[in-house]
Amino acid sequence: MLAFVLRRVMQSVVVLFVMSLIVFSMINLVGDPVDMLVNPESLPEEIDRVRRDFGLDQPVHVQYWKFLMGALSGDLGNSFIFGRPALALMAERFPATLELATSALVISVTVGLPLGVYAGLRPDGWGTRIIMGGSVLGISIPTFWLGLMMIIVFSVVLGWLPVSGRGETSRFLGIESSAFTLDGLRHLVLPATNLALFKIAMVIRLARAGTVEVMALDFIRFARAKGLAPRRIVLAHLMPNILIPIVTVLGIEFGTLIAFATVTESIFAWPGLGKLVIDAIVNLDRPIVVAYLLFVVTLFLVLNLVVDIMYALLDPRVRLQGDET
Amino acid sequence: MTRTDLLSIQGLRTEFSTPDGSLAAVNGVDLEVARGDVLGIVGESGSGKTVLGLSIMGLVDRPGRVTAGRIAFDGTDVTVFSEAQWQGLRGNRIAMIFQDPTTSLNPVQRIGTQMIEAIQAHRDISSDAARQIVREAMVRVGINSPDERLEAYPHQFSGGMRQRVVIAIALLNEPDLIIADEPTTALDVTVQSQILRDMRRLCRDSGSALIWISHDLGVVAQIAHRVAVMYAGRIVEQGATVELLKSPSHPYTAGLMASMPANSPRGQRLISIPGGLPQLSNMPRGCAFAPRCARATEACETPPDLSFTTPGHAVRCVFPLHVGAALDECD
Repeated sequence: MLAFVLRRVMQSVVVLFVMSLIVFSMINLVGDPVDMLVNPESLPEEIDRVRRDFGLDQPVHVQYWKFLMGALSGDLGNSFIFGRPALALMAERFPATLELATSALVISVTVGLPLGVYAGLRPDGWGTRIIMGGSVLGISIPTFWLGLMMIIVFSVVLGWLPVSGRGETSRFLGIESSAFTLDGLRHLVLPATNLALFKIAMVIRLARAGTVEVMALDFIRFARAKGLAPRRIVLAHLMPNILIPIVTVLGIEFGTLIAFATVTESIFAWPGLGKLVIDAIVNLDRPIVVAYLLFVVTLFLVLNLVVDIMYALLDPRVRLQGDET
Repeated sequence: MTRTDLLSIQGLRTEFSTPDGSLAAVNGVDLEVARGDVLGIVGESGSGKTVLGLSIMGLVDRPGRVTAGRIAFDGTDVTVFSEAQWQGLRGNRIAMIFQDPTTSLNPVQRIGTQMIEAIQAHRDISSDAARQIVREAMVRVGINSPDERLEAYPHQFSGGMRQRVVIAIALLNEPDLIIADEPTTALDVTVQSQILRDMRRLCRDSGSALIWISHDLGVVAQIAHRVAVMYAGRIVEQGATVELLKSPSHPYTAGLMASMPANSPRGQRLISIPGGLPQLSNMPRGCAFAPRCARATEACETPPDLSFTTPGHAVRCVFPLHVGAALDECD
């Protein structure tokens, strides 16, 4: 296990290095941030001074070297716009995004798993047709459109929930979250549901496919031959077997929830990472964009590793490479 | 042995609805099994023997279902049972062992968990008490150091060990009847004969009746008191094992016996029955075996009734073979 983890960490470092190269060189092609930073009517001397101050007058490879040295000591540079360390800015925004993504994940499993299993157990039922029809909609309707519709229906027309923003937060067990106040929850419901819809549909389809596949296996028939109650068969025999692929996919998908919460955050003005990076891209705030992309890459690397370890815990047949036996 | 019937099946018909219409995999089967009896059911793949076993367990899944007949278990007709009533019966009074031990156990549950739940499904006892029963059952089927084994997962066991576990599970609640569907087919020959011997001993010790389903007449001959030969969903011959093997009356039974390697002269080609099972969707009007039978005449185009050659030896054939004529007749 330890050897496996170590090897994966080494691979991750290489991936991160290559990614930083790509990100850094690509962002230099996008545009000149100095245009955004100075008043267009400034004197050429003024513009040159700004360029020098930010180190943008030097060749790309020198800039990259400086960035790399900084990165190794944990400094990803200062935001051009805010003048503060990119990492600190991201750290401020991260809890909001994490909260949104976690809520969406919880919603997608608690809603999607039972529906999917139900659909798999009763392939011909009316309920199944409705569930599967709904899941097709969930996968095909664009998130941004649905988000807007949800705002119109639940906030504007019905007036049940706030339109946008993050509500009051409070601290519980050392975690600052809006899930602990009523106002915070009211603000969280719409964006989290919006972000979760696609994943709900995905979990339904995975759970249904898994259920249909596993229920046809001999050990289910043997479990029935033992006289077990249907409830026990579903919970003790079906669930652990269909959870393996679902956990794998959701582990990776959690990364996409965080990385691509951008759209939902923009629509609901959720003050998270996504909104930070969208603003940074618009303003050509290079250090933020680079730091964000490297963060996303790291996130996926870590999640992949966690998924592999979870896999080994869920399925005793999987022994990680480098493990004994 | 008192011949009180434990299981009595009359006119059982199990049909599967398909796009081509309804097909009867089991077609008018009558069977009787007494307490402590060992009945062998022999037939080719597709003859309906597995579906027969599943019908007795109430485990025929859609699109199949039992459409006619009566299955009386210990005097009660179980064909009208609700799912809850079945649950009380399955694994408790009737147990079933399936063909492939590698797939009968849940790969992600510990062996112990899978055994204990089989007891707790039927008896309200503590996990510790159940564990004790499980431990004894493991030892009974020849698994040493049960405590260690109970913590293991199925993939850590060999095929033979897994089948022993499955057999141990079947025996846990001391059922009146065990249905074993080719339980040794997936195992190699040495393990096969061990399991066979153990099963015979375990059933004798516990007084359970046993229905042993197999395509191998040789295996059945070793274990069964009585044999029923199945062909295309029907029982074509039934009788005491010794009697049936000594003088098979149905040409199909005779063909099965002749095609056993042990019965062929050394150095000659093995004998086989020409042709194959008729398709369920395209059954002959009369005797289903007629198209493959050397003795068939026009008279075989009407379905033959069951007739008795001697008391307890029944055959469904228009021209049953006579004593001693078996081996020469079919070539």
